[in-house]
Amino acid sequence: MSAVGPGVARPSGPDPVAGALGSRQGFSPERTRGGGTTEAWRTFATAVRLGWSMEANWTDPALFMIYSVAKPVSAALILVAMLEVVGGASTREYRSYVVTGSALWAFVTSGIAGLAWSILDDRERYRMVKYVYVSSSNFLLFLVGRAVARALVGAVGAVITLAFGVVLLGVRFDPMAVDWLALAAVSAIGVVVVVSIGVLMAAIVLQTRQEAWSYSEALAGALFLVSGAIFPLAGLPAALQVVGLLTPLAWWVEGTRQALFADPVSGIGGAGSAWETITGSLVPDPPTILLVLLVTGGVGTLIATFVFRVSERRAKDRGLIDRTTGS
Amino acid sequence: MSEVDTVRPAFRRLGPDDPRAAADWGRRRVLATELRSVRGRAYPRINGLLREKSWVFFEILLPFLTTSAFVFVYRALQAPEEFVGFVVLGGAMTAFWLNVVWMMAAQLYWERDQGNLELYFAAPMDLMSVLLGMAIGGLVMSSSRAIAVLVIATLVFGVSFSVDQWALLLAVFGLTLAALYGLGMVLASLFLMWGREAWHMTQAMVEPVYFVSGLNFPVARLGALGAVAVATVPLAVGLDAMRQLAFAGGETYGLLSPGIEAAILVAMVVVFVAVARISLRSLERRAREAGRLTVRWR
Amino acid sequence: MPVTLGTSDRRSGGSRSLRLCPARYPVPLPAALEAMTQPDLAAIDAVGIRRIYDAKPHDVVALDGVDLRVPAGEFFGLLGPNGAGKTTLIKILTTLLAPSAGSARVFGFDVVEETKRIRRIMNMVAGGEQSGYGILTVREQLWMFTQFYGLPASDGWQRVDELIDVVGLADQRLQRVGTLSTGQRQKMNFARGLLNDPWILFLDEPTLGLDVAAARSVRGLVQEWHAAVPGRTILLTTHYMAEADELCDRLAIVDHGRLLAIGTPAELKRRVQRGSIFRLEVDRLDGGPASLVALPGVISATLAVADAAGDTASPRQTVVVNLALADDAALAPVVGSLGPMGSSIVSLHKSEPSLEDVFVELVGRGFEESDETTGDPDSGTRRAPTVAEEPHGTEPPAPGDDRP
Repeated sequence: MSAVGPGVARPSGPDPVAGALGSRQGFSPERTRGGGTTEAWRTFATAVRLGWSMEANWTDPALFMIYSVAKPVSAALILVAMLEVVGGASTREYRSYVVTGSALWAFVTSGIAGLAWSILDDRERYRMVKYVYVSSSNFLLFLVGRAVARALVGAVGAVITLAFGVVLLGVRFDPMAVDWLALAAVSAIGVVVVVSIGVLMAAIVLQTRQEAWSYSEALAGALFLVSGAIFPLAGLPAALQVVGLLTPLAWWVEGTRQALFADPVSGIGGAGSAWETITGSLVPDPPTILLVLLVTGGVGTLIATFVFRVSERRAKDRGLIDRTTGS
Repeated sequence: MSEVDTVRPAFRRLGPDDPRAAADWGRRRVLATELRSVRGRAYPRINGLLREKSWVFFEILLPFLTTSAFVFVYRALQAPEEFVGFVVLGGAMTAFWLNVVWMMAAQLYWERDQGNLELYFAAPMDLMSVLLGMAIGGLVMSSSRAIAVLVIATLVFGVSFSVDQWALLLAVFGLTLAALYGLGMVLASLFLMWGREAWHMTQAMVEPVYFVSGLNFPVARLGALGAVAVATVPLAVGLDAMRQLAFAGGETYGLLSPGIEAAILVAMVVVFVAVARISLRSLERRAREAGRLTVRWR
Repeated sequence: MPVTLGTSDRRSGGSRSLRLCPARYPVPLPAALEAMTQPDLAAIDAVGIRRIYDAKPHDVVALDGVDLRVPAGEFFGLLGPNGAGKTTLIKILTTLLAPSAGSARVFGFDVVEETKRIRRIMNMVAGGEQSGYGILTVREQLWMFTQFYGLPASDGWQRVDELIDVVGLADQRLQRVGTLSTGQRQKMNFARGLLNDPWILFLDEPTLGLDVAAARSVRGLVQEWHAAVPGRTILLTTHYMAEADELCDRLAIVDHGRLLAIGTPAELKRRVQRGSIFRLEVDRLDGGPASLVALPGVISATLAVADAAGDTASPRQTVVVNLALADDAALAPVVGSLGPMGSSIVSLHKSEPSLEDVFVELVGRGFEESDETTGDPDSGTRRAPTVAEEPHGTEPPAPGDDRP
């Protein structure tokens, strides 16, 4: 009789326990090492699917339209109304500028919020952060994946707002004049930039309490000031213009405008701008925009990742991973 | 020592020896309980602010920067200086609307997910008191933000206010807050019934409301839409009246006179508070029937 | 065996509902309390309670015609597996849920129409409860709740401090709620449940997830609080048999939304005791248990531990037999027969039936075999949303189910 215990016979076939764990040899030390790209991809894809499931939990198309369209369109309309109140010839030209800027901001806001809200949602409501954290998945990768759905909603909102601007608000747009290659390159880097700001925000909300829901919107709103999204940086005091020149979002918005429109108003340069003072040129050319975007975006991404790691370590030290807050 | 003395003080009977008498509260006690409940619910909100001060950065400094961005839009357009004042006043008032949307309308839904809602319902106070407590707790933060935006923006951008009717301005401000928070109570009960969809609604209620309220521009410029907004949205009518009262003497593009708008606000307060009361009761009844009071993650 | 349903105490004329268990109390009954105990005033009086949840693909019947009367001062238990309907009944009695049919009163107040009055004199504590605001300290959290019950601020602080000491959280009084351990959290919840000095306390699985020491501590506090003042009533739901046995004056066995039996633990156990049960361990038993069945007064004899008799790895080779005898007197012939058979007695114990036996008798299955895998609308508040919800209320009765 088996020595494993009364009434328990060791099966002669494959070990069912090892089978259940997904390994024919039972525990394997390999499993404790890094998972490589396949596991990273699996983590990311799972998180994307989860994020989408949560976002799509409400399926009312009317509500989806309200949520994804009304918000950015209204933001654009506020600016258009401001232009109309002032009136004058320059406001016509300026209209394309503000509509594009506020449309892009729909993506910025949702991209930043997606990451921050993933933490708040999973920590405070579903209480899942600790389980994700202790799993073999890459925590940061999971968060980024989880935020993709919300960012997509923002991207859709941005496109619809632009279309709304072209159709109803008199934004001049010529598809033949679009530099699609530059647009693709700038957009790709822009996504990384927005995600890195989201990572920065996630690092912050990992330390804060439940009421941090509005923080990401506050940050996105504040970045309005130094990104040239709704007015050219040249209107700012010199010191703030320099801050703007170091902000990758400003270059992303500038690059997108340059790629979309034939002769757009520059948000970076212009007469009397800090850019002109520093470089001597009136406006930056497309290669320069791409290069500076790449550099500032790269540095920004490194900083965001570093801050997140520091925040993560601090959260672990202080037991913040599995806490709930609320007031 | 008698046997009674062996009972711990904490376990001794506090009230009457008759459960039916213990359940029979006079009006005064009911009122006192409601007021204490307001205080009780406001307590964690205010303490939360004192304990984690990140909000000073995120709720005061960053919104000020957002407001500044809109000021620079007008500056870039070389707009008249009174428009800058409009932006600053709008920036200050957004604090209250955001507070209503985030920390009140969505709050009951959130409380249910945290398991607090069933304890609220199981306690003898009115849910209105809990909501009022949330509002007052949130007002501390919102008011700090509004004051900070007003003061800093005034100093930085040189906004000059000109007030002839202080009493009316304060009354309109108070009525605007009352109407906003009354609307918040209505939304809180509606959002709880709608469940998860309501959570998304909170996001859809910010920019569209800003737009129809004429956040950075005179609402009169929206024509019929502005008129409808003034009749229905507290932020719209409150902002329009306050702009006229805070920048008296200049061109304020008011839709209606401040006196009429104050009357509209009074009507809004009455309607919203009454509707909130009815909807909260209806919510409780329907939720008890449907078993939704305690079901999370809907 | 016939099973008495929900209204067993009513059938006995209702007089038991007036019992205040005076023997339990160290203090004399206050005159007012005695005056309060009119014949028609029970702490809980539920008649024909049904509760149906809308669910897909078909509705779930969580409670299916429950009649229950609990006298003031009683410690009453609802014992049943997950999904039995215990928490649904508590939700109805605590005014959180409306019954689909039937009526219920708490100290005479209707649970649908007089919610405010009931809420003034009741409180509830649920196991695994995670409510509250993590930003607050234990002291502040409890004080906030004193305000909801209308205590003046200073009285509230005093009351909180007293209860914190009583439940043993003095060292955690200034600790944030979000950092408490499960046991500490449950003690805080228990303190919250006592803040308003309730006349009736609803305890829904109060020791769920607690370790042995913490569970014992909570049970001790519950018993002490209950015994301190006459008239305090407790309705406890649990699926821990021993807990129900230890704490409750009376209890009801619940399954599939029905009360299958009500009585004191001793009464319920007697229902399944059809004779004397003995556990007999002998060194050998030639002919097996069958050799004992033929003896006078032996109803049945079954092998209790199979491996003990035949497993070569077992340190002792003995035979354990469960003996069901007509009465204790039938034991003598059994013992007398063992010598001639060459058997020596290693041990002999008289077995008392447990509440598990009662449950098996009534339901036809044990707790472990119960509806663990089926949905439980009751426990929806404490489970992740990903858990599959499957209605169970319309399942056919389990084999052996002798419900009418």
